[in-house]
Amino acid sequence: MNVNTAFNALGDPTRRAIFEKLQDRPLAVVDIADGLPISRPAVSQHLKVLKEARLINLRTVGNNNIYELNREGIIAMRNYLDKFWDDALANFKALAEQTEKDKK
Amino acid sequence: MQTINLTSIKKEFTVEASQRIAFEVFTQKMDLWWPRKHHIGSSDLTEVVAELNEGGRWYTKHTDGSEAPIGYVQTYRPYDLFVLVWQIDGDFKCDPNLSTEVVAEFIPEGPKTTRVKFEHKDLHKLGSGKVVESMDQGWGEIMEFYKKQFTLNNN
Repeated sequence: MNVNTAFNALGDPTRRAIFEKLQDRPLAVVDIADGLPISRPAVSQHLKVLKEARLINLRTVGNNNIYELNREGIIAMRNYLDKFWDDALANFKALAEQTEKDKK
Repeated sequence: MQTINLTSIKKEFTVEASQRIAFEVFTQKMDLWWPRKHHIGSSDLTEVVAELNEGGRWYTKHTDGSEAPIGYVQTYRPYDLFVLVWQIDGDFKCDPNLSTEVVAEFIPEGPKTTRVKFEHKDLHKLGSGKVVESMDQGWGEIMEFYKKQFTLNNN
């Protein structure tokens, strides 16, 4: 069920684009809207759907609404594991190649 | 646009080593390539162990003498297939009822070139406790939304 909710929210290409933008860093609505070919209210509507699916969080800093990825739960775990395996497999590749060289 | 796959992580790459060396380094030398900071033990990591037989334990050893389980070995088939079962959940606890597969295939492409196909599957199972609760709430809201749309369209 939890994945379905996230899938529904990410079933829309604009929402995926927004979600990907937020993977780099938290952003204000104006920065999220920048470069997207849709109106500001449309962006807000997409953000609402992502927020309801618990994929992103809203934080208020001064007068600004900042959106960030929800670091809890499945998305956070997936991102964590993705980075973990990247590091682990890079180490593995280097070690295997060194082992092959040392065999000579 | 890149598709975000929430339920699995796939990595594919080539290693300039023979299939046998690639397989042996992956299975026997895990301790040497495992990122040291990643474990759920109570003190620093000293060793990562995968017992190389089917059903063999997969765990970490720590400076205080304790061990922390990661999961177990499901398939050990030299020199082309190694499948581990990862049982650490979204709360960073080992759950014996949880099974997510970590599959590594080793495909020879030359005497010293091996293609590695890696996948960590079933990641949707990792969410638990609070996480699932909050997600289920979100799902409920979406169902309500669908119901409303259905009613509107039929009036």
